[in-house]
Amino acid sequence: MSRLEACELVIDVPGRGDGRAMTLSLEPGQVWGVLGPNGAGKTTLLHTLAGLRAPRHGTVRLDGEPLAGLSRRRVARALGLVFQERHDGFPATVQETALIGRHPWLSPWQMEGGEDLQLAEAALARLDVAHLGERLVSTLSGGERQRLVLATVLTQGPAIWLADEPTNHLDLHHQTAVMALLAEQAAEGRAVLMCLHDLNLAARWCDRVLLLYPDGEACWGPRDTMLVPDVLERLYGQRLATAEVDGAPVFVPVR
Amino acid sequence: MMMSRRFLSGLALALLSLAVTPAYAEVCAIDDAEREVCLPAPAERIAALSPGATELVYAAGAGDKVVAVVDYSDYPPEAREVPKVGSHTRLDMERLAALRPALVIGWVTGNPPEQLETVESLGVPVFYLEPRSFEDVASAIERLGTLAGTVGPARRESNRFREGMTEIRKRYADREPVRVFYQVWDEPLMTINDAHLIGKVLSACGGVNVFGGLERLVPRIDDESVLDADPEAILAGGMGEENREWLTHWEQYPHLTAVTEGNLFFVPPSLIQRPTPRLLEGSRLFCEKLEEARARR
Amino acid sequence: MHAARPTLGVIGGRRGLIRPLGLLTLAALAALALGVGVGSVAVSPGELWAVITGQGEPLSRTLVLELRLPRSLSAFATGGLLALAGALMQVLLRNPLADPYVLGLSGGAAVGALAAMLAGLGSALITGSAFAGALLSTLLVFGLAHGTGSWTPARLLLTGVVVAAGWGAVVTLMLAVSPVERLPGMLYWLMGDLAYARSPVPPLLLLVVVCLLAIPLGRSLNVLARGALQAAALGVAVRPLEWTIYLTASGLTAMAVTTAGSIGFVGLVVPHMLRLALGNDQRLILPACALAGGTLLVLADTLARTIIAPEQLPVGVITALLGVPTFLYLLYRSR
Repeated sequence: MSRLEACELVIDVPGRGDGRAMTLSLEPGQVWGVLGPNGAGKTTLLHTLAGLRAPRHGTVRLDGEPLAGLSRRRVARALGLVFQERHDGFPATVQETALIGRHPWLSPWQMEGGEDLQLAEAALARLDVAHLGERLVSTLSGGERQRLVLATVLTQGPAIWLADEPTNHLDLHHQTAVMALLAEQAAEGRAVLMCLHDLNLAARWCDRVLLLYPDGEACWGPRDTMLVPDVLERLYGQRLATAEVDGAPVFVPVR
Repeated sequence: MMMSRRFLSGLALALLSLAVTPAYAEVCAIDDAEREVCLPAPAERIAALSPGATELVYAAGAGDKVVAVVDYSDYPPEAREVPKVGSHTRLDMERLAALRPALVIGWVTGNPPEQLETVESLGVPVFYLEPRSFEDVASAIERLGTLAGTVGPARRESNRFREGMTEIRKRYADREPVRVFYQVWDEPLMTINDAHLIGKVLSACGGVNVFGGLERLVPRIDDESVLDADPEAILAGGMGEENREWLTHWEQYPHLTAVTEGNLFFVPPSLIQRPTPRLLEGSRLFCEKLEEARARR
Repeated sequence: MHAARPTLGVIGGRRGLIRPLGLLTLAALAALALGVGVGSVAVSPGELWAVITGQGEPLSRTLVLELRLPRSLSAFATGGLLALAGALMQVLLRNPLADPYVLGLSGGAAVGALAAMLAGLGSALITGSAFAGALLSTLLVFGLAHGTGSWTPARLLLTGVVVAAGWGAVVTLMLAVSPVERLPGMLYWLMGDLAYARSPVPPLLLLVVVCLLAIPLGRSLNVLARGALQAAALGVAVRPLEWTIYLTASGLTAMAVTTAGSIGFVGLVVPHMLRLALGNDQRLILPACALAGGTLLVLADTLARTIIAPEQLPVGVITALLGVPTFLYLLYRSR
């Protein structure tokens, strides 16, 4: 299993000061939640951690090696990304889409074989979209597409998941199913870091939390030390009411 | 005097060649691409790939040897009966090959060079033509006569042409100059300079081309420059043979000398547009028009 | 975990490579047979067979072996190159409506060729100059799109369209100031036609090489077609791959344009039709484009030189007349 470290990391958000440099380590078995208002740089942080954007300062290391020095193929075998934005250049079926998760594992001369197909089928079934296998992606609903994105990363089988709003577009049942899947991945020794808008999902499913402010300030630590009502109110500029349900805190915005 | 000597020597040469040429003897001639083209024997089957080339081959007395022509090869009238191999811009290579020409007459700036190269790669010699002067026309007839084995008739025709042009030059050499604008096309308005064959016809008739000094062979001009040059006569060709429309355009400018004098002349373009012996007839017509203009002074 | 795997198997879990490519190969062979068998002069099937087996009359041998065969092979190679270049450009720009000329390549080639003609250079130099013009256009568009930062497909496309418009103006200017006696040659070049094609060997060779290159690149192209970020996340070295596609497509187009001028529609219509019929796996689409593009152009050229023989039509007219209705029909029928 792999670990991802940020050392004195300052992400590059144009027109913003450096803020707090982040030094943290994403360890196997951990589930991190990144919280922050719109424009705080959550997606930028995720892309920087994945090596898709250059940081302003600092480095990201994968198993001790700087990410920038590794081949994309090597990185893709360890890191899986759940993107928020989607790209529909050309029509493709659900099954074809899931299968591209196998890309980093196949040599240029290899075709996807039966084993890859089984992995993709299993991932589609796990996310409850196997019945859509032959459908064109462009014909799916928002929630179905989101589950397909997760199934593609599951097919990829990375040791570290970086997920941008994994519960986007999902109904309550599928939100819970997806969070359970990510928790299960962590329990199996993988590491998960996800950007979330829903405080309650973070409170329930994450064990580490990183709060990101619009000015680049940041703080991070165990969930219970971070999810404090007045800190969260400052983060979002929104008054919150707090309760406890089913053993976890619940935050509700106050009118 | 000089002409007749040239004529006699030409005749003598023709007779000589008839007398001493064995049945199969190599014939050679230099073409307008300045390459020597040699045939093992005079060509019996000739393909002419432009209407002008067709006229020249007929003029050289080898009309009965023409086996292939292209679109618009309408002169002499017999040429219309010869099989066509497409247009001069896009040749039907298969038909051309199937007609088995022993010699192909190409047009340097008119035929696609790639297709002429293909013809040569098939083992058929190409004789490139691009006559730019009266002498080029006469010599083309002679050279074609050499390659077709019709030296005698070719000599006679080339001499008739040379002598005719010389006579015209002589007759009009001392005439009062007439300032002329020759209109090649109407939209865009185009004329010719002195280096063009038509420009040379104008000079021969004692005309002065108002645009003769322009750099390009076929300059594009506008109405203003014609008004500014104020020619004494305007000569225009046209698409058809009866088309006077281009001339009525100028009547909207009543201060133009050519209009006040009534010197707007139509000249059938077919006589003048191709570098062939018909230029002689065209030149006579041109000169007559200029004479009319002089008469109105 | 990723040990031995069959190197040939299912694509997308469903479609085989072999059946569609086999069918397209048969179609290509049939088209080539037609191109060699049919012309403005009739050659009987018996005579054709005699020529193929090394006998036959000299005239038939000339017609079939020296005129039709090289021309049909040139047509095949040109069509294949154009369709392949179109498919690559579409992946590069993530836009199914891109074609090989969208980035100003044919304009650059035309300016190169016309400049050589204006200078009175020979035909070999004209070809070389056209090729140089195409590559110059490639570098110009890429350099300008790159600008001070990094380029995006949209920026590349816009730069290409504007540069193409610029080339168009330069071509018009050159035609306007050229001496009349050089105009016909220039116009033939601009019209583009296989009648003016020379040896089919260089374009055929390039076609085969690029098809072979496309096999190992195919899956990366599939991933790239889903967007640069997604591709990078799945282990594709996006920038080097995009450079490779861009330079390859440019080279293919430059070769096609210098072989037969700019022939429209093949590069747009063929990849699009194949995508509608076969899906979007580039490992299938790229070789299929080479075969189908070649087939289409051989058929179009055969029509162009026989339909109103001895008059010869420019092949671009035929590709447009065949391609446009087919394309519209497929669009109309598709979802």
